[in-house]
Amino acid sequence: MKRIKVLKSVLVSNKQRAQENRQQFDRMNSLVINIIASPGAGKTSVIERIVEYFKKKRKILVIEGDIRGQIDSKRLAKLGVDVIQINTVTACHLDAFMTAQVLPKIDKKYNLILIENVGNLVCPAEFEIGEDYKLAILSTPEGDDKPMKYPLLFHLAKVVVINKCDLLPYVDFRKNQAKKNILRENSKARIFEVSAKTGDGFGKFCSFLEKELNAKEKKG
Amino acid sequence: MIRFANNMHEFSVTKSLVDLCNNEAKKNNFSNIYKIYLKIGKFTGFSPDSICFYFEHLKPNTKCKDAEIIFDEVPIRIKCTDCGKESEIEEPILVCPECGKMTIEVISGREFYVESIEGE
Repeated sequence: MKRIKVLKSVLVSNKQRAQENRQQFDRMNSLVINIIASPGAGKTSVIERIVEYFKKKRKILVIEGDIRGQIDSKRLAKLGVDVIQINTVTACHLDAFMTAQVLPKIDKKYNLILIENVGNLVCPAEFEIGEDYKLAILSTPEGDDKPMKYPLLFHLAKVVVINKCDLLPYVDFRKNQAKKNILRENSKARIFEVSAKTGDGFGKFCSFLEKELNAKEKKG
Repeated sequence: MIRFANNMHEFSVTKSLVDLCNNEAKKNNFSNIYKIYLKIGKFTGFSPDSICFYFEHLKPNTKCKDAEIIFDEVPIRIKCTDCGKESEIEEPILVCPECGKMTIEVISGREFYVESIEGE
């Protein structure tokens, strides 16, 4: 019997594939955002607002990750944006290999690629897919304690969008406490308050994204 | 549309674990692995119980068929970049217990790797 050192990450193959995806996205100078939130937080509605803001100025691709169906991709296609749907069937997250399957289908240069992950605050956080960064959405009816209950996502997300702020008068969501809880996990997080329903807050949020897009395009 | 038949996230990571160990066994001419020493940080999204559950399902007909996983859980250690204090924390609330500032670097707790395997 022998014991040998291995010292290899279990996620090594996913990480390698994510890196290859990232290189491919970088060659197109695409800004790639991995959008993660619980089911019903408003991921698709936030994407719709971003698409409306940028669709005349930039080429956008949305990659939709859902366990089943094409409800969201049909919704987004109505806005005239290119959409590719991935059905994970039983998997609770997208991984780098699933994302890699999309790459051969990308036949033009996109400035912005928005990847809507499967609705879940736990698993998607662990799997890099080749994104520039993760964007978490927290909606007000979920409660201000979610960053403390699902710390990893909020630790890793560069940007956090607080959605459904139009419901603040009706729900027990302490906005300042929520921000504090987010910053406790990631003191550098950029936090934006929006309502995808009314459109409030998207001016500020989208000008931030525009700066990010400019920076990414300059790199090319 | 692209469809996948996969499973919950511990299933896919346990599959990666078995593949990784099989490859290492081949490289070292092991016909059987008896122990897998796995480092798992407390600030990951993986649960040892679920990994064990899927491992039992995945190990037959592999070099891991007689193996057990020895988990070595790694505590969450943080360092405050302001006051310089290092602390071990139970829950991943990234605030310095010493000075209360949120200028925190995570030193450990994100590990998820095979430290070694034992076999012949």
